[in-house]
Amino acid sequence: MRKILKSPTGLIGTVLLAIVFFVTVFGPWVAPYDPQAFDPINRLAGPSLQHWLGTDQYGRDLFSRMLNGAPSTVAFGLGATLLGVGVGSIIGVIAGVAGGRTDSIIMRILDGMLAMPELLFTLLIVTFLGGGTTQAMLAVAVTFTPGMARIARSSVLSVRTREYVLAAQARGESQSWIVGREVLPNALGPIIVEATIRVSFAIMIGATLGFLGLGAQPPSTEWGLMVAESRQFMFRNPWCVAVPGLAIAITAMGFNLFGDALRDAFDPKRSH
Amino acid sequence: MSNRIRTDDAGSKIERPVLDVSHYSMLYDTEAGPVTALDDVSLKIWRGETHALVGESGSGKSTLAWAITRYMADNARDTNGAILLSGEDMIGKSRWDLEALRGKRIAMVFQDPSSSLNPSMRLGDQLAEVLVRHRGMTWDQARTEGEAALDRTGIAKPKEMMQRYPHEASGGEKQRVVIAMAFACNPELIIFDEPTTALDILTANQILDLFVRLREETGVAALYITHDLGLVARIASTVSVIHKGSIVERGDLSKVFAAPEHPYTRKLLAALPRPEDRLALPAPETDAPLFEARDVGVKYNTPGWLTRILDSNAAPLWGARHISLDVRPGELLGIVGESGSGKSTIAKAATGLNPYEGEIRFDGRTFPSRDDFDRQYRREVQIVFQHPDASLNPRETIGGILSRPLKLYGLVSRGRVAARVRELLEMVLLPADYANRYPHQLSGGEKQRVAIARAFAAEPKLVICDEITAALDVSVQAAVARLLVNLQKRSGAACIFITHDLNLIRQLAHRIVVFQRGALVDAFDVADAGTPDRHPYTRALLDAVPVPHSVDLSADPMESLT
Repeated sequence: MRKILKSPTGLIGTVLLAIVFFVTVFGPWVAPYDPQAFDPINRLAGPSLQHWLGTDQYGRDLFSRMLNGAPSTVAFGLGATLLGVGVGSIIGVIAGVAGGRTDSIIMRILDGMLAMPELLFTLLIVTFLGGGTTQAMLAVAVTFTPGMARIARSSVLSVRTREYVLAAQARGESQSWIVGREVLPNALGPIIVEATIRVSFAIMIGATLGFLGLGAQPPSTEWGLMVAESRQFMFRNPWCVAVPGLAIAITAMGFNLFGDALRDAFDPKRSH
Repeated sequence: MSNRIRTDDAGSKIERPVLDVSHYSMLYDTEAGPVTALDDVSLKIWRGETHALVGESGSGKSTLAWAITRYMADNARDTNGAILLSGEDMIGKSRWDLEALRGKRIAMVFQDPSSSLNPSMRLGDQLAEVLVRHRGMTWDQARTEGEAALDRTGIAKPKEMMQRYPHEASGGEKQRVVIAMAFACNPELIIFDEPTTALDILTANQILDLFVRLREETGVAALYITHDLGLVARIASTVSVIHKGSIVERGDLSKVFAAPEHPYTRKLLAALPRPEDRLALPAPETDAPLFEARDVGVKYNTPGWLTRILDSNAAPLWGARHISLDVRPGELLGIVGESGSGKSTIAKAATGLNPYEGEIRFDGRTFPSRDDFDRQYRREVQIVFQHPDASLNPRETIGGILSRPLKLYGLVSRGRVAARVRELLEMVLLPADYANRYPHQLSGGEKQRVAIARAFAAEPKLVICDEITAALDVSVQAAVARLLVNLQKRSGAACIFITHDLNLIRQLAHRIVVFQRGALVDAFDVADAGTPDRHPYTRALLDAVPVPHSVDLSADPMESLT
């Protein structure tokens, strides 16, 4: 952790993430207005003392809406990633440990899934499952699975032929002990790093789905949906698009920078 | 030894030395403050002289080579002294001057020929490029000259070799090309950085002969960097011993070797394995074997049914075939052979890491395949691997690593585990508080001791040591070898010791078997190593390795110094 804070990337990433998590946890309580309260007189207003970041087309306070949208947006990113990484890693570890025919079959199927562009694949799944936050989350998780499985598999493969694993095999250790104690702890680093970076992708895909109307449904304060809803009024009040857009950007950047720093900290070649 | 150049004292020393490093110091700026890499190093090399720079890993020997050619990291800083090439100061030179000078006046030959050649360029073009750049030849002239240069290095068909890419040449051939490149511009100084370490023994031997011949023909001054003291005697006339960035002893090779003054030099020389200093225990008296391999073979890449349909010639690759050997209780059997000869393949088969054909018999029981290995077999046959850095799980403490075999085989009761771990650490001469450390906090030699302790923790009857000293420094090697014999004595275990170091194995083993290209070609008692009925390959291996001088002045070097 100290190593992460020492690099500029890591420090900025950590600070951004700290802000994001603070807003996620306390945002709804701190919000000065009800995020759904209409104020017809102050529609599409710029920042003022009354409304710090301005208002949207119904006169709803953008600051409050942004704070209220944080939990659902971040939870979406984390949830989709956890699900995708979890399932993907399990598949990858199975493929890596089993090897041979099992490995070939699993990897060929995943290759087929990888051949489709990520967003297109997500859209396809959402069309099957129907719109909504949970469905969108599932869709993102499914899209992440093949990539994560590949990373987990390569990580396991590189550890599996190390001499300490061979030593455990020669000792006659059980397969589960070898996987659980010798292989996994040493293969986990790249998986964790990749997962952190993927949270930012998940948030962005989630926002995209929200924007396309396939994710969260109105009157949700999900950031992507906020951008979509106020798109028509972009020229009258740029703030109503910029505020949720910037919030997405900051969150994604926080996870991305933190993930980069985490990778550097895990990589013995980069640290002194 | 006859082909060593003697510097003619009166004649040559009137001129300037080719390389004159005087009181040179260098440090690296790191986050933790400056770290001294070289401290007050002085070195003179005259024309026609080969100066050996000997040191262990991390001693600063390669750093010095880079400092001389002025290839330095950004955080390196010269702090004191001068480096003169034929009287010209190297430190003050501009980048352009240095670029014109490297390759022309100073050439370098590196350890690994496969990474010092550009894989996407024909060997001939790489060689000709040097000549075009530094001797102003046209490409046609350069190719003709290049062919002549290759011819001088003893390559059989230079014209053909010029057309090949690096991957189409063997390691020895590639190193010959690199050497031809180094000599191409008649440089004043050539720096050799362990040029034979990456090659197998017989090829290394040919490269050394080539080096000696070319040096005599050209009279070039050479700085020869190596960790192998045994090799120094063949090629150099003067030697410097470097330790922790400073030169602890320098002088005429024969003087330094015969009467080393600095304790570190003594330690290094004493650590050299000498076949006449037998370390092995008395040979076992029984003839009944403990471990027997009968016609064992290991194959890789067995083609699948689809491959067989597509290519009727597809056949498996044999890592080793028709291997029969036996080990008696308490005996140490040496397996020697070059890389790829199938030594490790057999070790892995015997420990259940490779499937095998044939039959393994152990302690009166017969195992037709590795699936028949039971817990008892796995406990009684243990393996120690080559790389100390890779053989311990980095996320477990030393105590955790050592207690695993105890718990797995239920050798001691739960409450006694910690005490037994302490005993094991003491047995391999490590402090008991190492139990709480992680592998990365230990040095290479210490890690290898832990790996050995882990093997002996299982109370085995047979320990297979797969090149366990190959990755260690000379002084550590000797200690590890002694430790192994000591443990063997205490436990009575038999041992299969796989190595390519013939001098070491002649110290340790009772019997030696020789592998070549996956087959067992020779087996003999260690006392019969010199007898004429040895296989030609065994003899070639033995002749390729010089037996080092004795440190004490009494004994004269033995027969194989030719």
